[in-house]
Order: sequence, then C-alpha cells, then structure tokens
Amino acid sequence: MSTEENKREITYLEAVREAMSQEMRRDPEVFLIGEDVGVYGGAFGVSKGMLEEFGEWRVIDTPISEAAIAGATTGSAMMGMRPIMELMFMDFVTIAMDQLVNQAAKMRFMFGGKVSLPFVVRAPAGSGTGAAAQHCGSQEAWFISTPGIKVVAPSTAYDAKGLLVSSIRDNNPVMFMEHKLLYRTKDIVPEELYEIPLGKAKVTREGKDLTIIAYSIMAVRALEAAEQLAQEGIDVEVVDLRTLKPLDVDTIVESVSKTGRALVVHEAPITGGFGGEIVARIAASEAFDRLDAPIMRLAGKDTPIPYNRILERATVPQVEDIVAKARELATEGK
Amino acid sequence: MATEIIMPKVDMVMETGTLMEWKKNEGDTVTKGEPLFVIMTDKAAIEAEAPESGILAGITAKPDDVIPVTTVIGYILAPGESLPEKAAAPAAAVAPAEAKPETPAAAAAPKAATAAPAGDASQVRATPLARSLAREMNVDLTQVAGRGPRGRVHKADVLEFAASHKAAPAMASVSAPATNVAVPLPDARIRQRISLKGPRSIIAQRLSYSWSSVPHIYETLSVDMSEVVRLRERVSPAIANATGQKVSYTAILAHAVARILSNHPGLNSSFNGDEIIQWEDVHLGLATSLEDYLIVPVIREAQNKNLQSVVVEMARLLEAARAKRLQPNEMSGSTFTITNLGMFGIEQFTAIINPPESAILAVGKMMDTPVVVDGQVVVRPMMTLTLAVDHRVSDGAAAAKFLVDLKNALENPYLLL
Repeated sequence: MSTEENKREITYLEAVREAMSQEMRRDPEVFLIGEDVGVYGGAFGVSKGMLEEFGEWRVIDTPISEAAIAGATTGSAMMGMRPIMELMFMDFVTIAMDQLVNQAAKMRFMFGGKVSLPFVVRAPAGSGTGAAAQHCGSQEAWFISTPGIKVVAPSTAYDAKGLLVSSIRDNNPVMFMEHKLLYRTKDIVPEELYEIPLGKAKVTREGKDLTIIAYSIMAVRALEAAEQLAQEGIDVEVVDLRTLKPLDVDTIVESVSKTGRALVVHEAPITGGFGGEIVARIAASEAFDRLDAPIMRLAGKDTPIPYNRILERATVPQVEDIVAKARELATEGK
Repeated sequence: MATEIIMPKVDMVMETGTLMEWKKNEGDTVTKGEPLFVIMTDKAAIEAEAPESGILAGITAKPDDVIPVTTVIGYILAPGESLPEKAAAPAAAVAPAEAKPETPAAAAAPKAATAAPAGDASQVRATPLARSLAREMNVDLTQVAGRGPRGRVHKADVLEFAASHKAAPAMASVSAPATNVAVPLPDARIRQRISLKGPRSIIAQRLSYSWSSVPHIYETLSVDMSEVVRLRERVSPAIANATGQKVSYTAILAHAVARILSNHPGLNSSFNGDEIIQWEDVHLGLATSLEDYLIVPVIREAQNKNLQSVVVEMARLLEAARAKRLQPNEMSGSTFTITNLGMFGIEQFTAIINPPESAILAVGKMMDTPVVVDGQVVVRPMMTLTLAVDHRVSDGAAAAKFLVDLKNALENPYLLL
C-alpha cells in the first residue's frame, strides 16, 4: 500500500457504502434491502450508485413495510444468505420488532444451533437534524437486552467500515447504529477490506484524571470535551466502546482502575439506558477498589426528542455539558 | 431528603469538636451558607454554615457537648418533610465537656447507647480507593479529614495525611508535654474552674515546650520611627483610596520584616530533630488577642507582597478572626511571628518563640522620647523591638545583624522599595 492510499480521507457515509460494496463484490450472498435504497440511493445517500453496480436483485427497493423488510431479511438469512437491511430511521424498528426480537434473535437457540442468521440491520439513529421525535431515536437499549442480537455503534468512518465488514461476516443478527450527524464526518480509511473485531473497545485518548466511556457521536463529543479540559489541566481518558454488545468490560475496567473516576455518556434517555449497565459492571469489578468518586452518567433526558431546535439540543448531552460534568467529577475531592 | 448536619472535620488531626452555640433554633428556617452553629476546635472557634436551605430540625447536640467529627447533630428538612427515623436517637457526645456531677447517670447512659463508634473506619465516608489506600498504607481513616462532599475522604486526603504523618517523628518531640510537678494549691475560695480545652490547652502545651526546651536569646534596640510616620502619612490616602483600608504601623513593620527576613534565612527557619530547615517562604504570623485567647493569623508568602497587599491581607485576616471565620490553614504554618502590645501602652516586653519557628519579634509602644542627635537633645517617636531567637538555630550576632538591618530599614523605609 502506498503512502498516498494510507492517507485517503472519506466520509463515514462513504465508508459504510464502501464496506457494503466491497463485501457484495466478494460474496454473492450479500445483498441490500430497504426503503428507497435503490433508485433514490437511500434516504441519506448511503447506497448511491449501488443499484447501478449490483442491479435490482441485490439492491432491493421495498414497499413501506419494515415488517416485510425484516421478515425477508430473517427468512433469507435462515436460508443461507447474508442480507443487509436498512431502516430508514431507527425509530421505524418498532414495526420490525416481531421479526427481529421474537423471530430472528431466538431462532438459533430454538433450533439448537442448527440454523444461523447472518444479517445486519443498518439503523440511522440519533438527534440533531431537527427531524422531530419520530426520526431521532437511539433505541440501542432494547436490543442490548435482547439475547441473540449484537449491537454496534461506530463513531468514526474508519471504525464504521471495519465494524460493518465484521458485522456482515458475523453469523448472528447485528444491529448496526449509524449516527446521522456522523455521516458527513471524515476520517482516514484504507481502501482495502479490513475487519475490526466486534466486542473490542478502543482507548481514543489516554489520560489519568478521569475516564469517559462513550460511543457513537458521544465518543466524538467526549474527545472534544477532553481537549478543552486539557487546557485546564484535567487529563481525560476516552474509551470509545464501538461495540455495545458484546461489551468489552476489560478495557473499561482497566481504564477506570487507572483513573479512579468514570463518566458514562450516551445520547439515549438516561433512565433504563445502557449507561446503567456499564456503571453496574464497573461497580462490580475489581475497579471498585480504585474508585475515588461516584461513577456518574450523563445521558439524554427522559423525553422524546423535541422538534424545536433549542429544546432538541438541550435534550441530549453537548460538548459543553460533558466538559462541565467531567470537570465536576474530575475535581471532586482533589 | 433530609440533609444531615454533621460535626465538621476542619482540620487534619481533629477528632472531636465542642459545640459552642447554635445560631438558629429548632424549627427555624435557614438558608444555605448562613451561619448555623459555632464549634471550638483545638485551634479556634469556627462558624459552620448551613449545608442546605430548609428547616432546622432534629438537633441532637447542645452547647459544650464534645462530639466526634462527622457525627450527625441535626437535620435540615424540606417543607413538609419529617425527620428520618433513626434521627430520633439523642446526641452522641463522646464525653461530657465537663463532668456534671449532679447528673452523672443521665450524662453517661444515653451516650453509651448511641455514641458513634469513634475509631470505626466503616463509619467514615470514604471512596473505595481511599479505603484501599488506607489499608495499604496503614492509615486510620477515622483520623483523616475528608475534602469531598459531606466530608467524604478521597485518595488525596489519605496521601496528604500519610505524608504529613511521615514527618511526624520530628514534630512529636515538639509536643512532648513537660513533666508534671505536684505543687500544692493555695488555700483560698474558688471563684471559677475553667477546664483546659481548645486553644488554651494548645497554648499551654506549645509554649511550655518552647519555654522549657528552646534556649532563647533576647536582644532589644530602639528605632527612630520618624520616617515611618512620614511614610505612613504619604501613602495612607492612596492606599485607603485603592483598598478602603487604613495603613497601620504594624502593616509597615510586617512588610519590612518580611523583606529583611529574606536576607536572614537563619531566623526564618525551624529546628527539626537533627536538621535545621530554612524556609524560602516567609509565612508571617501576627499574634492577635481575641477575647480570651490568642491566635496567630498568617500572611502567606509575605516576602512577595507589597505594602498594599500586606494591608489588604491583614485586614481580611483580622476581620475573619473577629468573625471566627478563619480557616485552620489561615492560623497555622507561620515561619516567623510578630507580636505587638504597643496599643496597650507596653513599652517593651519579651515574647516566647512559637514553635516550630525559631524567632519572634516583640514590638513596644511608639513614644515621643528625648534622644540625642548630633549632640542635641531632640524629641523623636521611638519604638523598642525585642527579638527572641532559638539559640540552637542562630547565634546572638546573627540576631543582632537582623535587628540592625530592620532598624535601618525602618529609619530609612525608602530602602524597602
């Protein structure tokens, strides 16, 4: 690989498209199905140009029925194909719930491991686009508490490509969350195919005063907050989970054991959110004896995402909120 | 939720505090931050603020109770809220402040039942890390003052405690009590018995040690204060304009001492077992008489302060001292002390060195005095300065050089610029 290729920058959206296209070229069983993924190129343009390359048998436009998309996905996966289904917005997953939760997630267990369901649900999630309550959800907690489904939520284009490739190749249903505000963010992404193993978190910034555990867009905001806090002499470590289930508990525990303080940040509502699970894992781990402050959470408010842009912004953690909370936690008792 | 009011741990080595008075009564509405009660520590009376706004209730401590730190002594309730169930228990004084012979049973019985297990580390608020560090370093958590919310002990508190106690052996000898000698008391009617506690007990302990163990040298000279008087007249209006504070002679003297001391490190030092520590910083103590006891507010790093800063800092410290709001670190840690009895008309006196310092300057009254200048008798405002130094640390000549430098600076204060 030349240096030139090494430095190629593409967007998160292009990285997702590249992962799908390269896997479809490599493996004839992989196909894409969803609303407007073909002629229109996807609601966010993720699959633009794919219909032209792969044809309508592999890039399938469907009627407006998430139940049908999920049913076709589940059935074709059981028959040995590797479908990628796109939910136009993650919120619409409610219509697909029976197929995903009651059928797909349980099938392998109910058939004694004789069938596997290798498919990916691509789900544009998150707020910040002014799309109101029915198009801004972050429903990861539902799937994290459903045995049989893996949940992935990358924060960079590099991770998006490598994790999507691994998700397509995984033999289980994977909920792959793409944050809509990240689609236009750029990163250096190798052109060739590569996998990032599921279930591995990444320490994206080393620090000694406090660990922020985050994922998806909050991992990006946490890094920005960490840079601001560095100006004040507060040295923050950021752990980007990347995969939520299976969870990389070791990396979290190792980091919190080092810093003695932990802040979990996510966009989804705080009550019943994934943050509570992470906090419990830390509290029950060997990191307990290294804690020098209570484990804290910063997450979305317990409300549907408002349409009003100011209220929308106030509903989920912003960089300044992370800075304030992290500062408070890092300096408590020091 | 009811907010607990606890006996605060305001000092590293504080184990108990004596409740002096409640500023509010049961049932009063209190505002967060307003003075709630006054406690007496070994060093001074300290006012504690309300930790929350609400209604004062469930008071379990009364004046003169000696209470272990972090013990709950009352609650602040939100309107309509009732006391937590366990709050019904009576006060948990470890020991009556003074034995009350008339009700011995009443004093002892309930206390034994509810006394917070003093010395029980499980009852101390501490982070898990602070606990495991305390175990590893053999630190008794009940001895550690916590800086976190509600006195929670953090890692930094344990480390600081461990560090300060590593230096303890050298200091231990400082506090070694003098031998008790039995001397018969006079046969006279007793007016009052005052138990030795708080600052009085510390004063007794420290100064007995100093007087009986530190070899003092005393040197006195007189200073012509004419130029200081002139200087003060010139700078007072400007400084008063800028700060609203009057320039006192003590402030000018403090400024001069801080500046001159930097050139005489032997007098700004501590005798510490088998070594002498010379301090870079001049933390200047100003002995201050307060009602019935003595405290020494400290101007930190006085060598780096100009006259105006000294004036401002002195005003702040003295106001805080009078309001009993001085923090422990504002009345400890001095490296040199000035004591002035001039305002009482005392012309000259000798002071006892305040350990672990190695010198103290006693200042007398400034008086118009006939002196001989160039063969003529003239009247000048004269003031006597009496320096005590620890002979283990410095010799008479070193003390003399300092005094002469100080005299020259005061007689020509423009040299301080």
